[in-house]
Amino acid sequence: MSDRKSIVCLTDLRDGESGNIVSIAGGKGALKRLADLGLSTGTWVTVVSRTLFNGPVQIEVCGSRLVIGQGLAAKIMVEQK
Amino acid sequence: MNNGKKLNIALAGQGNAGKSSVFNFLTGLHQHIGNWAGKTIEKREGTLFYKGYTIDVLDLPGIYSLTTFSVEEQIAHEHIIRQKPDYVINVVDSTNLERNLIFTLQLLELECPIILALNRFDLAAKKGMSVSTKKLQKILGVPVVATIASRGSGLTSVIDRIIEHREKYTYYKPPSYGKEIESAISELNELLNNTGLPYPVRWLSIKLIEKDPEISKIIAEKRPEAVEKAVALGKKLEEIHGHDSSIIISDERSHLAAQITRDIVRLDPLRKISLKEKLEALTTHKFSGYLIMILILGGMFLTVFKLGNWLSGILDTLFGSLHLWWNDSVGTGAAAALGWSAVESVLALMQIAFPYILPFYILLYILEDWGYIARISFLMDKFMHKMGIHGKGCISFIIGFGCNVPGCLSCRIMESRRERFITAVLVTLVPCSAVSVIIFGLVGKYVGLWWAFGLYAFALIIIFIAGKLSSKLLLGEPVELIMPMPDYKTPSPKTIMVQTWDALREFIYIAAPIVIISGVVIQAINLAGWMPAISSILSPVTVTWLGLPSITGILLIFGILRKELILVMLAAYLGTTEFATVLSPQQMITLAVVSMFYVPCVATISVLWKEYGWKKALAVCLLEILFAIVLAGIAKRLLDLVF
Repeated sequence: MSDRKSIVCLTDLRDGESGNIVSIAGGKGALKRLADLGLSTGTWVTVVSRTLFNGPVQIEVCGSRLVIGQGLAAKIMVEQK
Repeated sequence: MNNGKKLNIALAGQGNAGKSSVFNFLTGLHQHIGNWAGKTIEKREGTLFYKGYTIDVLDLPGIYSLTTFSVEEQIAHEHIIRQKPDYVINVVDSTNLERNLIFTLQLLELECPIILALNRFDLAAKKGMSVSTKKLQKILGVPVVATIASRGSGLTSVIDRIIEHREKYTYYKPPSYGKEIESAISELNELLNNTGLPYPVRWLSIKLIEKDPEISKIIAEKRPEAVEKAVALGKKLEEIHGHDSSIIISDERSHLAAQITRDIVRLDPLRKISLKEKLEALTTHKFSGYLIMILILGGMFLTVFKLGNWLSGILDTLFGSLHLWWNDSVGTGAAAALGWSAVESVLALMQIAFPYILPFYILLYILEDWGYIARISFLMDKFMHKMGIHGKGCISFIIGFGCNVPGCLSCRIMESRRERFITAVLVTLVPCSAVSVIIFGLVGKYVGLWWAFGLYAFALIIIFIAGKLSSKLLLGEPVELIMPMPDYKTPSPKTIMVQTWDALREFIYIAAPIVIISGVVIQAINLAGWMPAISSILSPVTVTWLGLPSITGILLIFGILRKELILVMLAAYLGTTEFATVLSPQQMITLAVVSMFYVPCVATISVLWKEYGWKKALAVCLLEILFAIVLAGIAKRLLDLVF
């Protein structure tokens, strides 16, 4: 196993894969709402599932589940282990 | 007993934490529901008599539930600061501890007396989590009680603790954040002393750093230098943290919440995957999820429609004999006929409310309480985005199939005004149960079932196109879906009953006055003998353009009251329900198309008026009338080629 880390979009993670958020490029309102729901840089997220045709992503953040629209999820960059 | 002891308690918490179960358990039947001053957001109050205390309980709006908007957050903190409740019960979902603690930290910043109800304690244990209330109490410095609100367990000890602590309330320290943030806060604190504002100074400083527009405006009037300072400090913090200062503190809160959760929760690593988790995976799966959704929604609509037709038939017979009794005992003169039309309007409303809307709401709230509605929003988000709104809008559509009135009301769950309005307009185009009566009673019965289903598909296409157009016309950025996914839980009959009753009552309150008034007015026009004149005025449209019999002009006017009146009155006029003897298939389809789109019914118009103002309501009506006439005329010409 190599421990090289790569930075990808949250939407690039496959179901069941996790990553550490390194940056979120959203509007101020969206950023604040995400942060209030526990999603900010440094948080670990795991992709649970997504719908057909690149739909929203269901993720797990510290034991809670959250759904994020695809457009916003594409702006969240994570560092994959 | 020592009478006259009073306590004021407010309930606060994130959505889906079980706040309404707590409220219902504490207040039982002593509830009063109104609106927050100047807002369309519901205000629930109740009273509890306990150990000689008269305890007023207020349910503050939930934050980050399916029904989210920032107004609710503002209402919550304004109430806590201005009304100063004796205690705030923060209902916390133990199964989603970390996320809920973020809100708890925000509440603690308000520096009011707080008690934590760690709710759903049993479910947390089932998830393999053991939570230490003692440690949490020590970290936060406020009392913490484990509760299971759905069974009422732990709630009396919450009240006991409030009564006990109230006498010896000790000030707790609000949560503290990173060093550089704390130094920024204390620099601002010095500039904000003695402003005469009711807010805690530290809270004001935090809001200034967060660039809260309301608070910045208030402070700019009193201490402009503090706002300037906050901007400068914010810039400095941005350099350190690398992102906008408005979210630095949110970031800090979520890190602190994560740390607290790590300190107080122990996870059982050897846990089997429960049935619930399997269900979770199946219902959101990219293939089985859609299949299950179609089955559930299809089953729901079929049940409502079948049950509704049966119940409606029973009520029909009942009201028919009531009409005969009225004619016998009151008479059939003009005054008696006007009186009857008022009574009939009320009966007609009941005939929609009880057979169709009541069962619909019960099923809907079972799905909601179970946690399924959020799954629908998830599955439908991508599709709804093509109409410029996100997945939650789908819920309003589903409700709209039952009745447009609650459908339009439910658009409050959309975050921005733009989204709310687009969703409401699209909901008015959704064929409700009354329109379904026309589609199936006319087209389905006499032209063919596939034509009826075709009309439904046609309506969906029209809604889709209208959505695309309106999202292009109404400027503004589409909002992305951000929605907590609740865990599945066993629906609570009590919660479902309370929600159903609230929704039904709102429907009747809004719809009743306008339905009665317009029922009487139209009957007066009828009695005055102006109907033939009106139908001949309308005949260029109805006869020449749409190719319908001239009587339809009158039918369409009555149809504004309730769409299915079009069919009911047509039967009365013909003296038979054998519509095929007077209408050709293309006339039936044309009439159905007009009925589907030509105007929302009065009850729906009154909701549009109330929520978006009369100008927008009128504009929607005029546009839809024009649209339906053009559309049905084109449809007629195309149908002439087919038949």
